[in-house]
Amino acid sequence: MIYKLVVPGPIEDVEEVRVLEWHGASGRAFEAGDLIVELETYKAIVEVRAAQHGILRALLCAAGEWQKVGLPLAVMSDDGAEALPDSLAAVAELPVEFEVS
Amino acid sequence: MSSDARQKLFFREAIIRALREEMDRNERIIVLGQDVAEFGGSYREFEGLFERFGRARVRNTPVAESAMIGLGVGAAAAGLRALVTITYMDFLMLGLDPLVNYAAKARYKTGGQIEVPLVVKTTAGAKGQGVAHSQCIEAWLMAVPGLKVVVPATPADAYGLLKSALRERGPVVYVDHKRLFPTAGEVPNEETLIPLGEAAIRRCGSDVTIATFSFMTRIAERSAERLAAEGISCEIVDLRSLAPLDMATVCGSAGRTGALLTLEEGQLSCGVGAEVIFRARESLANLRTARIGALPAPVSSNPILEAACIPDVERVTDAVRGLLASR
Amino acid sequence: MDRIELLRAMLLIRAFEAALMRRSDHGFQLLSEGQEAVAVGLCSVLGERDQLLTSGRSIAPALARGLEPGAVMAELLGKTAGPCRGKGGRGHLAQRSAGFFGAHAVVAGNLSIAAGVALAAQLQEPGTIVACLFGDGACGAGALHETLNIAALWKLPLLLVCDNNGYSVSTPRSEALAPKSLSDLAGPFGIPARTVDGMDVAAVRDAARELAERSRTGAGPVFLECLSERFASHSTAVRETRSAAEMQAIRKRCPISRLADNLEAEGGLSASARKQLEEEVRRAIAAAVRFAEAAPYPDPSEAVSDVV
Repeated sequence: MIYKLVVPGPIEDVEEVRVLEWHGASGRAFEAGDLIVELETYKAIVEVRAAQHGILRALLCAAGEWQKVGLPLAVMSDDGAEALPDSLAAVAELPVEFEVS
Repeated sequence: MSSDARQKLFFREAIIRALREEMDRNERIIVLGQDVAEFGGSYREFEGLFERFGRARVRNTPVAESAMIGLGVGAAAAGLRALVTITYMDFLMLGLDPLVNYAAKARYKTGGQIEVPLVVKTTAGAKGQGVAHSQCIEAWLMAVPGLKVVVPATPADAYGLLKSALRERGPVVYVDHKRLFPTAGEVPNEETLIPLGEAAIRRCGSDVTIATFSFMTRIAERSAERLAAEGISCEIVDLRSLAPLDMATVCGSAGRTGALLTLEEGQLSCGVGAEVIFRARESLANLRTARIGALPAPVSSNPILEAACIPDVERVTDAVRGLLASR
Repeated sequence: MDRIELLRAMLLIRAFEAALMRRSDHGFQLLSEGQEAVAVGLCSVLGERDQLLTSGRSIAPALARGLEPGAVMAELLGKTAGPCRGKGGRGHLAQRSAGFFGAHAVVAGNLSIAAGVALAAQLQEPGTIVACLFGDGACGAGALHETLNIAALWKLPLLLVCDNNGYSVSTPRSEALAPKSLSDLAGPFGIPARTVDGMDVAAVRDAARELAERSRTGAGPVFLECLSERFASHSTAVRETRSAAEMQAIRKRCPISRLADNLEAEGGLSASARKQLEEEVRRAIAAAVRFAEAAPYPDPSEAVSDVV
C-alpha cells in the first residue's frame, strides 16, 4: 500500500512548517517509533515518528523547503517495490505520532 | 544590479537577520530587554544574537520597563545605539516618561546638542492573553512630536523597517504583533532597507481602498478575497509607517477608488483611522469614508469576547459593502 | 579646587540668581540659594570627561560645572546664545561639550537616563563617571529604585547625589519618605553610601571625591546624600510655607558665609580680598546680563526645528 507522509496537525497557530532534517534517504525502512523527519514551526521543532512500518520512497520537500499542515512531504509504501501512483489524491496518510518541543 | 532572489523566513527570523546585519555593521548597537540573552526572546526573536555578540551587547534586564527604556535612552544619547525590547505593548506605558518626555524631546530641548538613536521594539495585539496583554496603542505614539512609529505586517517589512529604524538619528518605536509571529514570508537575499514613511500597495483594486497595518493587513487580504468573489475589487494599502504617515499613497489610491475604509485593531477614538481619514479629506473631495477598529472596551482573554471585540473578515466585508452602498 | 575657588564659585551662583530675580522677566525658576555648596562641592571632583545630569534645579550645578554665566543667562531668558538656543530653559539646560549632559524637569526623570549615560561611559570611556544630582523629592519615585538596582547589577560608574533640602515643595521629608536616612536607600542594593553636611562645601567635596574615585575604578555606583537647606520657596511658582522665624534661623547656616568666615578666621582670606572677590563676581554677573540682553531671540520658525 502507498502512503503519503503529510505535515501533521493540528498544532496551535501553525499553518506551515519548514523541513529541518530527514532522518533517512529514499529506500530506508521505518518501524513504529522511528523518527522520520523533524519539522520547524515558528516556535518549536516537531518530531514526526512512524506509527507503523513504512519504506521511504520519494521526498517531496527537501530540508529547508516549506509545506502547509495537512499537505504531503513524502511518499512511503509497505513494500519497496510497489509502483508509485501519478497522483496522491486518493492515497492514504501514513499514521504517525508527532511531538512538539 | 540587484538579484531578485528571496528566501522564505519565519517572522522572527527576519527580525534576527535585521539585527544581526546591523549589529555586525555597527558595533555600537546594544540590545536590552527581558530574556533576550541565552533565552533568545519570548518569541525567539533574538535567538543566536547573544552567542554571536556576547553579554556586553545583548543584555538581560530586570522587569523594569521605565528604567529599561531610560537606560536605552541615556546610552543612545551618549553615543551608543540602543534597541530596547518591551515584550508586551501594554507595558510600554510604564516607560512612556523616558520615551516621550526625554527621548522624543531631547534634540529639541537641547537645541540639537543631544540626539537619541533609540529603537523601542514592542509587540501588540490580542491573542487570548487578557485585558492588560492585548492592547494596540500605536495611535497614542504617532501623535508625539519627535517620535517615529513603524508597523510591519510581513517578514520582509519587519526586516527592512527594523534595519532602517536602526539607522535613524532619533527614537523609533517598532511595533509588531503577536499574531504575526506564526507567519512566514519571502525576504530578499540581498540586504534591503525599507524607508520609513512609505506605505505599500498589497493588492490592487478599483472599488475601494482599505488602509490598514500590522496584523489587520492579513484580515484585509482575506476580506478582499471574499469580496472579489462578489465582484468587489479592493485595493489594500499597508501603511507600514504611522509616523511619518504616507498620505500620498493613501490619497493616490483613494482618489482613484473614491472610497476609503480604514482598518485597525486598536481603538477608533483618536485612532489611526481618524487621522488618516481626516487628512485624506483635506486633499480629496467627494470621498466616501468609514473606519473599523476594536469595540470600545478592554479586550478580554475570553475567546467569545475577544472575538467580538476585534475586527474580523465579517465586519470588514460588511463595512465595505455598506460603504459602497452609501452616497 | 582650593577653598578660595570654591568660595568664588558659590558667590558666582548667589550673585547670578540674585541678578536673575531682580528682573521682571525672570520666568519660572527653581533657585539654589542655600544649596550652592552641594553643587560646587560635587562639581569640584568631576573631570573634564565626566558628565553631570541634574533635576530642574539646574542653575547652580550648571555654573559650578563651568558653563559661562552669560550663556546660562541667555538660555534662561530664551535667547539663541544659550547652549540650547533658548529652547530648553532652566528645566532642560545642557551643554554636553562642557560635561553638563543636562537638566531634565521631570522629578526623578533623569535617573535612568544617567544610568544609560554611565553604561555608555563604561563601554566607551572607562575611568570616567556620570554624576546625577537629584532632590529628596525624587527618592519616593520608582525610578530611583529601578536605577539603583540596575546600576548595582551592572556596576555602572554612576555617582548619585541626593541634595536633601528636607522638602518636596511644601511636604517635609518626614511625611514623604519612610527611611531614617536617604542614604539607607542604597544599602539594600549593596551600593556604598554616605551622608554629609550639605552646608559645608569642603565636606561635600571630600565625600564626593572619595566616592567618585571608588566608582572610577569600576567598582560600581555610589550614593551621596547631602543635607542642605533651601533658602527660598521651592520655585517662583509657589509660596514659602515656612515661618519668618524659621527662615531666619535657616539663613544663619549660609554655606557661603560659613566658608568665608572660616577662611578669614584662619587668615586664608583678608577682608579686602573677600571684598575684591565679591566685586569680581559682581562684574562677571553684570557682564553676563549684558551679554544675555544683547543676544537675539530665536526666529518663530525654530518652534518646529530639531523636532524629528
